[in-house]
Amino acid sequence: MLGMIIPLVVDGLTNAALIFFVAVGLTLVFSVLRVLNVAHGSFYSIGAYIAASLCLWVVSAGLNPWLTFVALLASAVILAAALGPLVEATLIQWTFGKPESVQILATFGLFLILEDLQRIVFGVTSIAEDTPMLLLGVTSIGDMVYLNYQLLLILAAIVVVVALRMMLVKSRIGKLLSAVVFDREMALSVGINTKRLFLFAFTLGVFLAALGGALAAPTSGAAPGLGAETIVLAFAVAAIGGLGQIEGAALAAVIVGLARVFAIYFAPQLEAVAPYIVMLVVLLIRPYGLFGSDQARRI
Amino acid sequence: MKMTWMTALLVSLGAVMSPLQAQEKPASVGVGVFTFTSGPAAAYGMPGKNAADLMIDQINKDGGIAGVPIKATFVDEGQGTEGVIAEYRRLASNAESQVMIAALSSSNCLALKPAVEQLKVPTVAWNCDAHQLLADGKSNYYFRPSGNTVSEFAAYALYLLQQKPDVKRVAMVNPDYAMGHDAAQIFSAALKAIRPDIEIVADLFPKLGTANFQTEISRLQSARPDVVFSALWGADLTNFVRQASPRGLFSRSQVILALGETVLQQKSLPEGVIVGVLGDGWWMSPDALAKPETKRFVDAYKARFGEYPVFPSMKMASAFSYMTEAYKKAMSDNGGKWPTRDELAKAMSSGKFETLTGTSTIREDNEGVVDQVIGMTVNSSEYDFPVIGNMVRYSGEALTPPQGSDPMQWVKSINADLLASLPKPGSYK
Amino acid sequence: MRPFIYLLAALAIVGMAAVPFTAPWLQFVLTLGIANGMVALGVAILLRAGLISIGHAMFFAIGAYCIAFLSRMGINEFAALLVLGVTGSAVAGLIVGAFVVRYRAIFFAMLNLAISMVVYSLIAKMHGVTGGTDGMPLHTPTFFGVLLDKPGFDLALYYFAIVLMLIIGYLVHRYWKSPLGYALSAIESNELRLEYLGVSARSVLLIAYVVSAAISGLGGVIAGSAIGHILPDFGYWTSSAQFVLIAVLGGIGGAAGPFLGAFFLEMLHSASVNITDAWNLITGIALIVVIVFLPSGLYGLFRKRRRSGS
Repeated sequence: MLGMIIPLVVDGLTNAALIFFVAVGLTLVFSVLRVLNVAHGSFYSIGAYIAASLCLWVVSAGLNPWLTFVALLASAVILAAALGPLVEATLIQWTFGKPESVQILATFGLFLILEDLQRIVFGVTSIAEDTPMLLLGVTSIGDMVYLNYQLLLILAAIVVVVALRMMLVKSRIGKLLSAVVFDREMALSVGINTKRLFLFAFTLGVFLAALGGALAAPTSGAAPGLGAETIVLAFAVAAIGGLGQIEGAALAAVIVGLARVFAIYFAPQLEAVAPYIVMLVVLLIRPYGLFGSDQARRI
Repeated sequence: MKMTWMTALLVSLGAVMSPLQAQEKPASVGVGVFTFTSGPAAAYGMPGKNAADLMIDQINKDGGIAGVPIKATFVDEGQGTEGVIAEYRRLASNAESQVMIAALSSSNCLALKPAVEQLKVPTVAWNCDAHQLLADGKSNYYFRPSGNTVSEFAAYALYLLQQKPDVKRVAMVNPDYAMGHDAAQIFSAALKAIRPDIEIVADLFPKLGTANFQTEISRLQSARPDVVFSALWGADLTNFVRQASPRGLFSRSQVILALGETVLQQKSLPEGVIVGVLGDGWWMSPDALAKPETKRFVDAYKARFGEYPVFPSMKMASAFSYMTEAYKKAMSDNGGKWPTRDELAKAMSSGKFETLTGTSTIREDNEGVVDQVIGMTVNSSEYDFPVIGNMVRYSGEALTPPQGSDPMQWVKSINADLLASLPKPGSYK
Repeated sequence: MRPFIYLLAALAIVGMAAVPFTAPWLQFVLTLGIANGMVALGVAILLRAGLISIGHAMFFAIGAYCIAFLSRMGINEFAALLVLGVTGSAVAGLIVGAFVVRYRAIFFAMLNLAISMVVYSLIAKMHGVTGGTDGMPLHTPTFFGVLLDKPGFDLALYYFAIVLMLIIGYLVHRYWKSPLGYALSAIESNELRLEYLGVSARSVLLIAYVVSAAISGLGGVIAGSAIGHILPDFGYWTSSAQFVLIAVLGGIGGAAGPFLGAFFLEMLHSASVNITDAWNLITGIALIVVIVFLPSGLYGLFRKRRRSGS
């Protein structure tokens, strides 16, 4: 039993890291733009496809294999730059002020469109390129052998949490974002350019989701249907943490990651259910998530 | 308006009536072919489709079946079981469809069974092997020339005991659906029937289409098994091997990959992995190499698709040769007329059929009895990917439970005598 | 202009009744359309109160799995399966509803999603009990005592479904015109005022939730009986989202809306399946077009024309 603690924790945190990237983007977009983007998971899967394709190209062109890491980062940047402003300026802006059901449906429509676009552009079979995973080698602890790549994922997630928090607190744009989140109308009346901030926040969200997909690609590859699975899990994690709470998303991701891994080790039947049971339990005790808060009721 | 209504009525009446009487030779033989051409399973399903394309072209080039060309409609199982059932019904209701070759996934075969029997279209289960499909022995239209999971997975247990008699701790990771559960159940039951002291230290069932096996691999490693058994396939297997290799799974345990032959050409497997072909469809086996038509098939496959066939390709090829042979048999039985669906079904329901790699004997319950070829990966001087060495060929009859008996009872009754009576690994050269 | 609408509706029903003779391949498609329309109607009931449920496929799945289990236990009469399946969904609706009606807006949606994913995951993983991702077969039951072969049963089911559609549609229409129905709209516009009037929003919603769960379960029974094989995908979140899509496509203004949306989508699917694989793309674009240009859905189209016609 004790011998299982380290593998449990390592696997749990790796799991958590991957889902954290998607969930934090979702929660960030919700907190700034007040839009729940059903298509967010598609950014994860497209990021994975672009990353796998780029890595395959790097390897086949005979370039230095370490460039595959650059390729992973580049995929996320490319996707964010290409789709972020486009989607935000068209679809998302149109949903401002409309009822929530319309927002959810509009982004669901986008999700459907992106699902088929992925199939058309990248094909219907799975693709994968594991050079980044292999380059970093392995570490043996006792009976177990771990991929150093898994540790890289955990590290990357920690860096993102810290960087996001520092950005929001220290940088100018971060403070502007906080103002908009706190009171949108006040921010507008003070003269803050909310439009540009929304664009920035949304693009950042896309970048984070795509980064998650890109970092996952060397181990898991990219396959059709990835977007659909990812978004519902991201919802669960974001809701557990409290919509709009970055640290909440991180903590929720850790809880969910550990829950899944616990299940695989001790109750494999429950592995797929675990995140949603956690979500149910948390929401029933704290309806707005671990760190979330209520909004004023309309009179 | 009225004319089209009347015409529609007449056409539908005609469509309903025509299969009932023996017909003149049709313009083409409609064959519905079901396989995966999208999603993670396509890595396994596409070699099947390639083989189908090749077989159809070869048969049509040789003049078709008694002069009638084959016209195939491909159905992608990747659309999900609901879509597969709907497509089957749609094709079957068209009188032009004479035969179906379906399906790849055991789930889909099980789901199609009611439709197969209801719509009375002869259907060849070319790949699905879950033994429950034909277990009730009452099927009239579903045929399975390539055999089922009972002999396939019992064979792996027996090979393991021959190769590594001192095995103690066994871990299993199989896909979470009919075939995966079958594989786990039969393999472990067969092992325990001869060696009740063997301990199953892990019994994992990741869902079909899982991409990330890191947690499963950790769980397997932490259980310190002597042997790791897996019936994963398609992109799942590719991902599993990719992720398990650097973590030392292959060096620390004896790994058995029941469907491992499909990934040999990916050059990701080390030496010493026990693999097989779920039957005898290994195109480099002595029996296969001895048949000129097999060499022709393999060469044509490599030329057209840039890679060598894998055992799903051979299973598909077997399905086509079985179908063609059955047509010839049905026509000789009814005096040279083109057979109805029922006559074809009758011809399919018994007999010994030649395949590219061996023979298949159809029993009363429509299961085919085929030999089992198993071996271990070994590097090859002739090819740039590992091939199968240390082979054994178990006869089909020895490993098939008697008809009408409960397959699991038979598995539990396997004993050391059976083990001793079988040929040894390395004996098949 | 009312008579014009009724005439159109009557013609449509006659057309549907003739389908097994004029266009037999449409029968299966339309049966599923009615089943989907039922669930969409259930979703529409809640949409009236401004509540969007992205988890209603769970009741669809529960209805279907209920009859699969009953069939496995030996109950082989469609009428019994129908009643018991709908009851099962209603009971599930009561249990789930008791929790979720306390929440509104996004949180209502999230909770429904979470519960539906719990149901889905359990069904998909319990291979020993539910057959997992392989699903469960459904043997053709007797139809009100009459033993039929599958094609005969399918035909009977189709006509029965049409009748059910008319009955349920009418009943929901009356429900919406009743005080309970108006209370639903009141919850969306101003819940607090409703409470001041002495009406418990929670009770109103709970009743609505149970009704919508029962209707969704009915849809599941019909779909399961038509397909003959029950799969966990019946309850996947994308199915839930599709039902919401159908409700919005069709428009929630009247009880006919969801059915219109369902038929439209099924027809579109059948028409495009031979031309293209990009079914999701088409649906997504259709959805966005409808919510941007036709906020009242297809049903709204009829009402507009009605007004401009007179």
